[in-house]
Amino acid sequence: MSTDSSGTFFRWAAAILIAAAGVAACRRADAPPPGSVFTPARATVGAAVNDFLNIRPDPQQPFPFPHSTHVAQKIMCTEYCHESVVKGPIAGLPSVKTCMICHESIATDRPLIKTVADYARRGVDISWQRVYGYAAESHVRFNHAPHIRAKVECTNCHGKIGEQTVAQRNVDLNMGFCVDCHKSRQAPNECLTCHF
Amino acid sequence: MKRRSFIALTAVTGTSATLASCGNPEHQLIRFIPDEEHVPGVAEWKPSLCPLCSAGCGLTVRIMEGDAEIIRDGQTGLIKMGLAKKLEGNPAHPISQGKLCARGQAAIQVTYHPDRLTHPLKRSGARGSGQFQEISWDEATAQLIAQLDGLATAGTPRALAFLHGPSASHRSDLVAAFLDRFGAPPALAYELFGDEVLRRANLVSFGRLQLPTFDFASSRYVISFGADFLGTWNSPVAQSAAYGRMRQGRPGVRGTFVQLEPRMSQTGASADEWIPIKPGTEGVLALGLAQVMMAANLRPADAAGRAGTIIEGWNRGLPDYTPPDVERTTGVTAARIERLARALADQRPAVAVVSGAPLAHTNGLFTAIAINALNALLGSVGEPGGVSFMPQIEPAAGPRTAADRQPGDAPRTLSSWAAAILGGNPSPVQVALIDGTNPVFASPGSWRIRDALLKVPFLASFGSFLDETSMLADLVLPDHSFLESWTDGRPESGAATAVATLAPPAMRPLHQTRAMPDVLLQVAGRLARPLNPPLPWQTFEEMLMASYAALPAPSAEADTWTTAQQQGGWWGGAANVASPAAGSRVPAASRVPAVADRSQAAPRRYAAPQFDGDAAQYPFHFLPYASQAFLDGSLAHLPWLQEMPDVISTAMWCSWVEINTQTAARLGIAEGDVVEIGSAHGTLRAPALVSPGIAPDVIAMPVGQGHESYTRYASGRGENPIRILAPVTEPETGALAWAATRVRVSRIGRGDSELILFAGGMREHPEHER
Repeated sequence: MSTDSSGTFFRWAAAILIAAAGVAACRRADAPPPGSVFTPARATVGAAVNDFLNIRPDPQQPFPFPHSTHVAQKIMCTEYCHESVVKGPIAGLPSVKTCMICHESIATDRPLIKTVADYARRGVDISWQRVYGYAAESHVRFNHAPHIRAKVECTNCHGKIGEQTVAQRNVDLNMGFCVDCHKSRQAPNECLTCHF
Repeated sequence: MKRRSFIALTAVTGTSATLASCGNPEHQLIRFIPDEEHVPGVAEWKPSLCPLCSAGCGLTVRIMEGDAEIIRDGQTGLIKMGLAKKLEGNPAHPISQGKLCARGQAAIQVTYHPDRLTHPLKRSGARGSGQFQEISWDEATAQLIAQLDGLATAGTPRALAFLHGPSASHRSDLVAAFLDRFGAPPALAYELFGDEVLRRANLVSFGRLQLPTFDFASSRYVISFGADFLGTWNSPVAQSAAYGRMRQGRPGVRGTFVQLEPRMSQTGASADEWIPIKPGTEGVLALGLAQVMMAANLRPADAAGRAGTIIEGWNRGLPDYTPPDVERTTGVTAARIERLARALADQRPAVAVVSGAPLAHTNGLFTAIAINALNALLGSVGEPGGVSFMPQIEPAAGPRTAADRQPGDAPRTLSSWAAAILGGNPSPVQVALIDGTNPVFASPGSWRIRDALLKVPFLASFGSFLDETSMLADLVLPDHSFLESWTDGRPESGAATAVATLAPPAMRPLHQTRAMPDVLLQVAGRLARPLNPPLPWQTFEEMLMASYAALPAPSAEADTWTTAQQQGGWWGGAANVASPAAGSRVPAASRVPAVADRSQAAPRRYAAPQFDGDAAQYPFHFLPYASQAFLDGSLAHLPWLQEMPDVISTAMWCSWVEINTQTAARLGIAEGDVVEIGSAHGTLRAPALVSPGIAPDVIAMPVGQGHESYTRYASGRGENPIRILAPVTEPETGALAWAATRVRVSRIGRGDSELILFAGGMREHPEHER
């Protein structure tokens, strides 16, 4: 069996070689579809390289949703738009129906709201892209609901959403980040808490 | 290859692949606004009903939010919806008791099948060519209405025929009500492995036209005549659960189980004692056992009552059925018969079971009546550990009988129905509707069902798949899957209480399909000459609600309709059913009056079974049997079942022919060799499977493969043994005697891996013998 160091060397050597080719040829690789079963197969080598190095493209939202405006209006994330966060593992992205609950009557003259109303009229949902989330190969199962029950603020893991318009991934949710917080709150820290 | 060279190679091929694959933008679908709200990542369990056989097991379906690709207003897109992910047995259901068989587990593939029909289809080529074009529902229903209006205008409503499967449900009630009010003859139910013979025998012996329910859990001794009750017959889940309790559920008592059959089935493999017996002589053996019991005064002859006296010689102690006589007829030794009889009489409660091949002979009815008499003699009818009849709920539309027939009508068995069409000029059937049955595949070629259906001027199918019968249709109106529609059923056996299973749709429809009952109601409402009297329901849901609301409520606070939807049906104890307080039409004890038909009272005597084919030219009995995976072939389109190894042979994805080890040696046939099986009605070729668990003069073959057209998984795979069966029937019921054909066998040559076995040989051998 080869030693760890030589294995790592070859892995990196190969990665750099492929990366050079891949990045040169393709400007932006496609991210694997969220929630799909893990497979080492990728559509392009560029995508495989990016995946290997955990480089993910920034999410491209259909239009700039202003989180800041909504938070300033004291619209609680967990009560209106991402309400499944208190009930289950996944926060969920609101459908355009949820938007129209308020925007049927509020700020109907703004251009972006008109766009939203237009979606609703056409029966088409807004295809928001996920901003956070783990790659399938990390084998992590995250459940929002117990974190909300333990009074962990949304901003702990998602940054100052209230100051952003389009949500940006500005907290790196790596294992160290999770473990630090679990330690400081005396939350369970066994492997099987998250990796099962 | 070394790790280093592997990486180098990856880099080189990867680079070229990259260059080739760039510039393809990701195909993105639009998203439709969801119609329903689910908490993502959290499962919901909803009740449903397994549609794959008539056992009627209650299911519970795991529903989770997922993305489904659908077409809306001609545009393809994704939508978030609750999707069925897994099926299990409903723990509250009296039949499935939280269990489910392997076939039931695979039922989920019906909904997500890649070859499921997604739109109504209209024939665009010649009849039977399989060329169809997609049409709208408006056009499809208009076509059907035009055909029915044509019959009404011409004054020939009796030229409408409806063919369907065997289950009793509100679906079949609705069809019956529709046909009755339209003026058409009652629907014709067809099932290859139907149990008409056993039902008729139960009517003759016990006054119940119904399949029996067995209390194996309390039995101490079970003797089964060819009944595959743990695998494919009657209510296998309920019977397997009870069997498990009989063998292991009572401390200190392990029930004994004896199986008699010419070919070892899955059930036979579980037996303490497996006895091969000459085909068609099972009834004689049963009477031989009764003779020993009566002669030795182990049981009083009058214990059998009417069930005994209808057999000739019963009151004289069955003098023609002494053990040596029975040995000559059946091939089972006299000593063994004596021993079995004494064991049966000693270890009560004991019960005898019969179904399958013993009843598929020309003397099948006698066999069933003989075994009924044995049960009656054992005192096991209606007693714990014995055989009983499940209380039944009377159908909403009222029971229909054969008396509804009128002189000019097409006859009531499929074979005579087809013969009437082929012989009539013009055909007595002008419009035929098909739902949930595939007679073209599941009937002998000599019945010429395909020709008959082609002669019917207009044929419409409600099938979800283009099977052999739907291929002949002019119009296909695809039904929802069972998970997408209201389903209900009134199982005939499997529990001690009356059961009506009900389930609302577990998920929204994936395709442009429509529930058959709703289509029928819609068509009924738009006929030029309205039904007389009109059907009182606008939707199938209304019909179900009206019917369930009339059932006795479980408690004062709860209403039946809501409770039934939540728990997956209605079931009540005997006291509940008999209660007149509810004032409903429901609590009928049985589907027929408990008085036997007097014309059947003539004493019965054994007649040797008649076989098609000369014994010299066709030396073997041919035994097609219900396949563990596909039953009569209706499940061959489900890939999980195709890849499920057969329990006895471990064969999968193929057909095979079972031949006794000694016979195979005599004919020079080795395992995997292709053999030709020929009857007087056709030949087929399949690989041989050499097996010690089959009588030397019997050739067995599973039914289910050999579809010409039944999705990508089943089409063109294996051979259909039904095709070469002789058109022999049991005379009183007209049921196909599917075990009454003789065949010859010849070796064709070495097989080219057509026999796919999951494991190695049939038997384990000690190391030194290999």
